[in-house]
Amino acid sequence: MRTMRLTQEGVVFLIALVLFVGFAITLTDFVSPGNLMTLLRSVAILGILGLGMGLVVVGRGIDLSMVAVMVVAVSWAIVIGQTEIGFATGILAGLIFCILTGLVVGVLVAYAEVPAIFTTLAMGSIVYGIGRSLFFTLDVQNVPPGNEWFAFLGRGTILGIPMAIIAFGIVAAVLHLVLRKTRFGRFIYASGDNPQAARIAGLPYRPLLVTQYVVSSCIAYVAGLVMAASVSGMNTRIFNSTMIYDVLLVVVLGGIGLAGGRGGVRNVIVGTLLVGVLLNGMTIMNISLTYQNLIKSVILLMAILIDTLLNPRDEQTSQQGDI
Amino acid sequence: MSNAVLEMRGVTKEFRGVPAIQSIDFTLRDGEVHALLGENGAGKSTLSKILAGVHHPTSGDLLMDDRPLVLSTPADALHKGIAMVFQETNLVPSMTVAQNIYLGDEKLLNRLRGLYIQAQQFLQSLNFHVDPMALVSELGAAQKQMVEIARAVHHKARIIIFDEPTATLTPEEKHHFFNLVRRLKQQGVSIVFISHALEEALALSDRITVLRDGQHVVTDDTRNFDRHKIIQAMVGRTLSGDLYGTGGQQDRAVRRPGRRVLSVQNVSMGRIVRNTSFSVFSGQVTGFFGLVGAGRTETLKIIAGAHKRDTFFGGEVVFEGRRVRYRVPRKAVRDGIVYVTEDRKIEGFFETMSIAENIHMGHLATGTNPLSIVSMREARAMAAEWIKALDVKAIDGNARIIELSGGNQQKVVIAKALIQKPKLIIFDEPTRGVDVGAIVEIHGLINRLADEGIAVVVISSYLPEIMNLSDRILIARQGKIVEEMDRREANEQKIMYAAVH
Repeated sequence: MRTMRLTQEGVVFLIALVLFVGFAITLTDFVSPGNLMTLLRSVAILGILGLGMGLVVVGRGIDLSMVAVMVVAVSWAIVIGQTEIGFATGILAGLIFCILTGLVVGVLVAYAEVPAIFTTLAMGSIVYGIGRSLFFTLDVQNVPPGNEWFAFLGRGTILGIPMAIIAFGIVAAVLHLVLRKTRFGRFIYASGDNPQAARIAGLPYRPLLVTQYVVSSCIAYVAGLVMAASVSGMNTRIFNSTMIYDVLLVVVLGGIGLAGGRGGVRNVIVGTLLVGVLLNGMTIMNISLTYQNLIKSVILLMAILIDTLLNPRDEQTSQQGDI
Repeated sequence: MSNAVLEMRGVTKEFRGVPAIQSIDFTLRDGEVHALLGENGAGKSTLSKILAGVHHPTSGDLLMDDRPLVLSTPADALHKGIAMVFQETNLVPSMTVAQNIYLGDEKLLNRLRGLYIQAQQFLQSLNFHVDPMALVSELGAAQKQMVEIARAVHHKARIIIFDEPTATLTPEEKHHFFNLVRRLKQQGVSIVFISHALEEALALSDRITVLRDGQHVVTDDTRNFDRHKIIQAMVGRTLSGDLYGTGGQQDRAVRRPGRRVLSVQNVSMGRIVRNTSFSVFSGQVTGFFGLVGAGRTETLKIIAGAHKRDTFFGGEVVFEGRRVRYRVPRKAVRDGIVYVTEDRKIEGFFETMSIAENIHMGHLATGTNPLSIVSMREARAMAAEWIKALDVKAIDGNARIIELSGGNQQKVVIAKALIQKPKLIIFDEPTRGVDVGAIVEIHGLINRLADEGIAVVVISSYLPEIMNLSDRILIARQGKIVEEMDRREANEQKIMYAAVH
């Protein structure tokens, strides 16, 4: 049965490769070391966010509050760092804020049974509103000077590999192990595949949901720290950008079905590569943001279309064992 | 009388190169009731869907009145006089009966009053007692079926195909349905009737066709058949320990009740479960019989923690001498109460996972440490043991569960429950949608479990199954247990009487 069937994952990887080669040939600056570094770094942040989103989507949820959580928690950490309390304590405060937000979202989704998409959409705005009104007033927070270790997290390299990529790699590896090898990970797949069956089988369904959202908002925090470290600050306006949809694009393009229970870390990595190459190439080509969004959407549609053509939902196979 | 109205000649249908039915010849005569029988995966549904224009044959010909027939869509088939009444009814729940009957015929401006009058007259002419202004979502299963049939008749269907029409009906509704089929037959409608219940086929049909593994086995007049012959044709062998037969099974000794494992007093949940009380003992099978809607599933789901009983005056559940109130199934599972669902597709298995992963998930669920390492090798070894014990027919544990037949899926779901080492196991309709061969095996398994000393509860709407399996029979009606019988004193008439009156 296991023939070389092209999966969406494979298709997306091929497209990413073709795009990369195409850009490398046609765009002069594309393969310059400076640009590749930028590409990888921007991709890394998107990728880390994608990992968090991927986890939630595997569990049949969605977390649209990730960007808001990232922006607000990191900004708060920086604002605290600018006072005499110290940056390290600030980072801890930001982490606690993330955990609390994740808990609130999780409890609303799991116990109040509000659909995840609405809960997180609203929570995103609430979190951002809280941040704007209580934690900070400026649009851009700058990391207080004298925190070299923090700057290293963003701009340093180990063996020539930027720290951002390493952070992405670590989060990906840990998440992969957790998803594939631990009881928690298997439970996520089971509850994403069939929540009712998971409940009846005796899985701790609701605590699982809550944990997912806590983990995803912590992963968003990691992404935010890497971002703040690499540009020495946090621009809170990215809450208003389409970033969260880029993250979703990464996840869906990579082949993690929104129906839950399918896909894994590999899919996120592949999706990240494609979206990263695409965004970077288009920016170098000087395509306006509006067109970039249009192109992204068309690509998303195409990916889904190709997937349906390659893996048709055959009525007979989907109804196997029905009667 | 014997002229063919619809004919299939050498029809083959392949799905991705795998034939679901192979060179089938099938004739439907004018004004006959033709029963189509076979195990799961025998190709009954595929055949009927080809007749209804849902699928297109890969090769072979369809003929109607001796002229070649091409059905492009179900609507086309309906237009040509072939209607199919599906297992799940195809009505719009938020519309009224009248609107559903005339669905698709609406003019630009649709006058509802006229529609209701028209529908009323039409339904009366068919002798259906359904209110044309009622919303379909409020109707019972039998009435929904009437509406579907009315729709078929309205479209002047000459051929009506019923896919498992009686599966969801109560005995009384079945009686109505049979009368209806006979009436349709008198009006010259030809009927194809797919069923799992052999008695119904024997009672209702003029001719019977049996399919096996996508191939035609036999077609003959009903009077030349009996249960035994049909089963033999369906499975291709004689079943040892005759299914629901009058043989040894029926006369085996009643198991003595063991410890009182579960005691339920005055449990209530809304208007579905009302002050019900009963006990379950270890080492025997307790059968739960009742009509659809008697609250059996709900009662036992309360015990398994899947439903919550009323907070106030909700009664008392005592499991192994302890009062329990489970808010989630997890606690019940860890205490040893396991519920095997009646609808495995919705709440039984994980469709993206393999057989091994499904079975192993049952084991994982009993553990607590979320970070403990899961070994796939251990999973496969554990699953292999159960696959062997329950005789699941699959190449190996890596096969995906949706590739299995209904019977084998059910076995996997049961394995997933048994791996949790239950003290009380609840089977809800354990053989629904399961083929004849697997039914025998599952019944054997249930008996073995009881012999091993586990308290077993079996919910079933099928009387022979209850009679065959249980040592004690509890009969539910309108949300409570109304009667308890020892299997020695029980007979079908007594049970039915208790369930209805």
